[in-house]
Amino acid sequence: MNSNNLLSVFQFILLLFLQVFLLNNINLFGFINPNLYLLFFIVYRFDSNPTILIFLGFLMGLLLDLLTQGSGAHTIAALTIAFVRPIIIRTSFGINFDIPMGMIEGTQLNQRILYILMMIIIHHLLLYIIVYFSFDSVFIILKNTIFTSFFTFIMVYISLGLFKKEQND
Amino acid sequence: MQQLINALLKYKNSLFYLGLLLLSIIFLNQRSFYHQSLFSEISLSISSRLNLYSQGLVNYFSLKKINQKLRAENENLKVLELAYQHNKVDKADVLESFGFKITGARIIKNSFDKARNYILIDKGEADGIETDTGVISSDGIIGIINQTTESFSSILSILHRDLKINASFKKNGSYGSMSWQGNHPKKMKLDDISTLNPVSIGDTIVTGGMSDYFPYGIPLGTVSKIERPEFEGYYDIDIELFSNLTQKEFVYIIKNKNLDQIEKLNPDE
Repeated sequence: MNSNNLLSVFQFILLLFLQVFLLNNINLFGFINPNLYLLFFIVYRFDSNPTILIFLGFLMGLLLDLLTQGSGAHTIAALTIAFVRPIIIRTSFGINFDIPMGMIEGTQLNQRILYILMMIIIHHLLLYIIVYFSFDSVFIILKNTIFTSFFTFIMVYISLGLFKKEQND
Repeated sequence: MQQLINALLKYKNSLFYLGLLLLSIIFLNQRSFYHQSLFSEISLSISSRLNLYSQGLVNYFSLKKINQKLRAENENLKVLELAYQHNKVDKADVLESFGFKITGARIIKNSFDKARNYILIDKGEADGIETDTGVISSDGIIGIINQTTESFSSILSILHRDLKINASFKKNGSYGSMSWQGNHPKKMKLDDISTLNPVSIGDTIVTGGMSDYFPYGIPLGTVSKIERPEFEGYYDIDIELFSNLTQKEFVYIIKNKNLDQIEKLNPDE
């Protein structure tokens, strides 16, 4: 097990517990709970095994749902975002991306932001669609998606800076 | 085989994803009552639609059988309809022409073992039945309505000692009054036939036209015994009825439409 895998395991556990015990209790404006655990899927190395990521996504969502008494929506959303991540990467950075170390260094700012936003919005949209699962709740789904995505994006962006510093140290 | 494995390896991510997705949906279904009910609703609607299609398909293959069944049923109904039409037209036309209105009814209670017998039928005031109307059957007369309720009527049977029916000989029209002695349900007595008229055993007796209740000419029976008392001007005649009142089921109530006119001209009442 090399240092990259160790780092991933560390990130996985840290983000999971952070999400369960801290971020899910924020309830900003009554309904906004930023889903920072998406950071794990965002910073996961581009050249690592996608099959393992799919399994990790399933595990992450499952543990999250079990620990927060959730209904199972996080499981499906995290699993799906792990599955479609290669497509999002290709869309954001172009077909011939060659960024083995992840997207932190050596990518353009607008591509990076596009990538993060797509990950977050697709995940949140799916999450709230599964939670509400009704055509009558379209406006609630859109409202929750937009506001929660916004706050998740801010937290993810700040945290990326922290990770960058950690990696630089 | 190699190709299969290659294909599996090629799509292993998708397959893995789909498998895990299935697991998560099961997980979701287990944990959330809302989703559970939603899924069951969806599955119900799908299965009911599929059942509808399959039912339609099965029905299509059994159309021939159903068709045969329907045709047989139609034939039965047609027979009934024709019989009904036939009866209706006949009775109505004939009886209309001589001023009697007819209503069919079914006997629900009949007696013939008492001195004064009554019959109950299943038609009443609601069907236009009135008291003092005659009742006949297919082969003779039954009696006279004496009481009615909303949907039932009681008939004074001709097997009743106090009832006298106007009757006459078919061959010459000499008339008398027929009554029951209370012995045998087929034996009646005919009084008031003048000895001026020639009578013989086997003569046919019909209803006389002088009754308010019955039209002229309904066959009643035949003469079975004749006695001629010495110092009286009238015969003592026994009649054997055609109809057997102990096994009647359907009767017709005949109402004289011109009864009020007859009564107006009758000075006795």
